[in-house]
Amino acid sequence: MIRIAALVLLLLAVLLASVAWGGYIVAPGDLLAILMQPAGTNPQVEMIVLDLRLPRALLAMLVGAALAMAGAIVQAVMRNPLAEPGLLGINAGAALAAMIVIAALKDVPAQFLPWASFAGASGMAATIYMLSRHNGGTSSLRIILIGIGLSALAGAATTLLTAFGDIRDVQRAMIWLAGSVYNADWAGVRMLALWLVAPMAMTMMASRQLDLIRFGDDAAQSLGQRVNLVRALMMMLCTLLSGAAIAASGLIGFVGLVAPHMARRLVGPAHAGLLPVSALIGATLVMAADFAGRMLVAPAQLPAGIVTALIGAPFFAYLLWRHRHAAG
Amino acid sequence: MTGTRLGGRIAARTDGMRSFALAALCLVLAAVAIWSVTLGTSRTSIRDVLAAILAFDGSREHLVVMTLRLPRVLAGLLAGSGLAVAGAIMQAMTNNPLASPGLLGVNAGAAFAVVMAMSLLGVASSGTHVWFAFGGAGAAAVIVYALASSGRAGATPLKLVLAGAVLTTFLTSLTTAFLLFDQTTLDAVRLWTAGSLAGRSMQQVVDVAPHILAGLAAALIFRRHLMTLSLGASAARAVGQNPVLWRGIAVVIVILLAGGAVSLAGPVGFVGLVVPHIARLTVGVDYRWIIPFGAVGGALMVVLADTLGRTLFASQSFPVGVTVALVGAPFFIWLARRRVDAAP
Repeated sequence: MIRIAALVLLLLAVLLASVAWGGYIVAPGDLLAILMQPAGTNPQVEMIVLDLRLPRALLAMLVGAALAMAGAIVQAVMRNPLAEPGLLGINAGAALAAMIVIAALKDVPAQFLPWASFAGASGMAATIYMLSRHNGGTSSLRIILIGIGLSALAGAATTLLTAFGDIRDVQRAMIWLAGSVYNADWAGVRMLALWLVAPMAMTMMASRQLDLIRFGDDAAQSLGQRVNLVRALMMMLCTLLSGAAIAASGLIGFVGLVAPHMARRLVGPAHAGLLPVSALIGATLVMAADFAGRMLVAPAQLPAGIVTALIGAPFFAYLLWRHRHAAG
Repeated sequence: MTGTRLGGRIAARTDGMRSFALAALCLVLAAVAIWSVTLGTSRTSIRDVLAAILAFDGSREHLVVMTLRLPRVLAGLLAGSGLAVAGAIMQAMTNNPLASPGLLGVNAGAAFAVVMAMSLLGVASSGTHVWFAFGGAGAAAVIVYALASSGRAGATPLKLVLAGAVLTTFLTSLTTAFLLFDQTTLDAVRLWTAGSLAGRSMQQVVDVAPHILAGLAAALIFRRHLMTLSLGASAARAVGQNPVLWRGIAVVIVILLAGGAVSLAGPVGFVGLVVPHIARLTVGVDYRWIIPFGAVGGALMVVLADTLGRTLFASQSFPVGVTVALVGAPFFIWLARRRVDAAP
C-alpha cells in the first residue's frame, strides 16, 4: 500500500510541477488561487495554467494510462514479456497512415491526422486478427508471427515513403511519429477521457480472465474459459485503448512495454492490482516525459515519446540490475 | 518455440531428405547469385562474368562487374546469411519467437554510431560508415549482455530480452532526437537506415567478410551446443552443458554475424526475424538444421530481393530493406497461417 500511495503522490507532484514550471514560473500561491477560484486572478497567468499547461499534462496522463493498460493486456494474452501494443500492428498501421497523410497526400487538413492514424491502427489489428483465425480459433504464436509479417509489410511502405519523400515532409512526419502532446486542448482531453472510460472499465472487469489466460490455452480452457472469445475481446480492448492514445499523441512507444513490467515488480502478477498500477505508472511516465521534454532543451521542445524512453530506459535498467538475483 | 507442433509430413522428414533439400537450395542460391551479377543497366553474359573474375582485363564491362555488381552481390550474400543465422541463434538462446539480432541492440547501436559520426564529426563517405556501424553494433551488444548477465543466474532469457529492448529503445530515441534537429543528417542517413546495398566497394566487403565468415563457421561447428541451449537452462544442465558459458559464446557469434551484416547492409530487421521462422516451419524445430538452412535461405532472400528491386524498379538505390519485406512477408504470412497449428 505504501508503494501505491507513494506512486499517487509522485503522480500529483509531477502534475503540479508541470503546471507550475515552464517559460513562465507560476508561484505556488498564485497556482493555488487559480485552481481554487479562477476568477479574479491575473488573466494571462490563468491562461497559461488553465488553457496551455493543464490540458497538456492531463492529455499526457490519459495517453500514458491507456498505453500502459493496453501493454498489460497484450503481455497477458500473448504470454510474452516482449509483447507491447505494437505487436498487434497498431504502431505500424498508424505510422503508415500518418506517413501517407503527411508525405503522400500533403494538402490534407491537420485535424484529419488523428482519424487517419486511428483507422490505420485498428484496420491493421483487425487484419492481423482475421489472418490468424484458422479452423475457428487463433493462437498467440500465430498472432505474433502474422503480426511480424504484416508489420514488416507496412513498415516497408513507410520506409519507402521516408526514403524518397520530400525531406521537409519526412521531418514533419518524424515529429508526429515520435509522439507528442504539443497541441493539447480541452476538447481533445475531454474526448479522449470519454472514449477511454468504457474500455478501461471493461478491462478492469476482465482482470480475472486475464489472470486465467496467462497460464496457457489448455489450462485456461480446462478451467472453463472460452479462450478464443476472450482473446478476441482482449485484442479489441487493447486496440481501442492504444489506438485512441496514438490518435491523440502519435507513437509513444516503450510505455506499453515497460509500465506493466514495473507494476509487476511492485504488486505482483494478479491483474486486479497490476492493471491500475500499470496505468498509474504509465500516466506518471508520459507526463514526466512531456515535462522534461519542455524543460531540457528550452526554448525548443523534445517530443514526449522520445523522452519517455530516455528517462524510462535508465530507470528500468536500474530495476533490472536491482532484481538481478531474481530467478527467471 | 520448442512446443510448436508441425505437420506430420514435415516432421517425418529424414536427415537424408534434409541434406538433399539443403544441397538443392545451395544450387538455387548459386544460380540466383550468378544471374544477379549479369543483370543491370547493361546485360553481361555469364561467360563475361566468369572472365572478369578469373582473367580481369580492365575493360569497361569487366570493371562494371568487378567494382559494382560483384561487391553488391557478395555483400548481399554475407549480410543475408549473417542476419539469418544471428536471428536463429538469438531465438534459440532466448526461446522467444520475437527475438532477432536487433534485440541485442545491434541495429540501434549501429544507427546511433552512424548518425553521431555524420552529425558531430561530419563523416560523409560511406567508406567509413562501415566501421562506425560495426563499432556501434558491438558496443551496444556488449552493454546489453553485461546488463543482462549481472547477478547469480547469469543472462537468463527474460533478462536478456528485457535489457535488449531497453537499450534498443533508449538508443533509437536518442538517434531520433538528434535527427529531429538536424535535417541535413536525416537527409543523408535515411537511405542507409532503410537498409541498402548500393555503392558497397570490394574493399569494404573484403574488410567485413572475415567477421561474418568466422561467425558462420562457429555457428555451424557449435550447432549441436546451440540446439542444447535452446532446450532451456535446466535441460541443458541435465545433459552436461554449462548454459552460462554457452550463452556468452552465442552472444559473441551474434555480434560477429549481425555486426558485420549491419555494417554492410544497414539495419535490416526483417531477415534476422523471419528467416529462422521460415526455416523452422519447413525443416522442423532442430537448430542443427535451422542454422545451415537459415544461412543459405537468408542469403537467397536478400540477393533475390535486391536483384528484383534493381530490375523491377530500375533504380540502383532502391533500399533492399523494403524489397526484402515485400518479397518475404507475404510468403511468411502464408507459411504462418498454414503451418502453425497449436499454441506453444
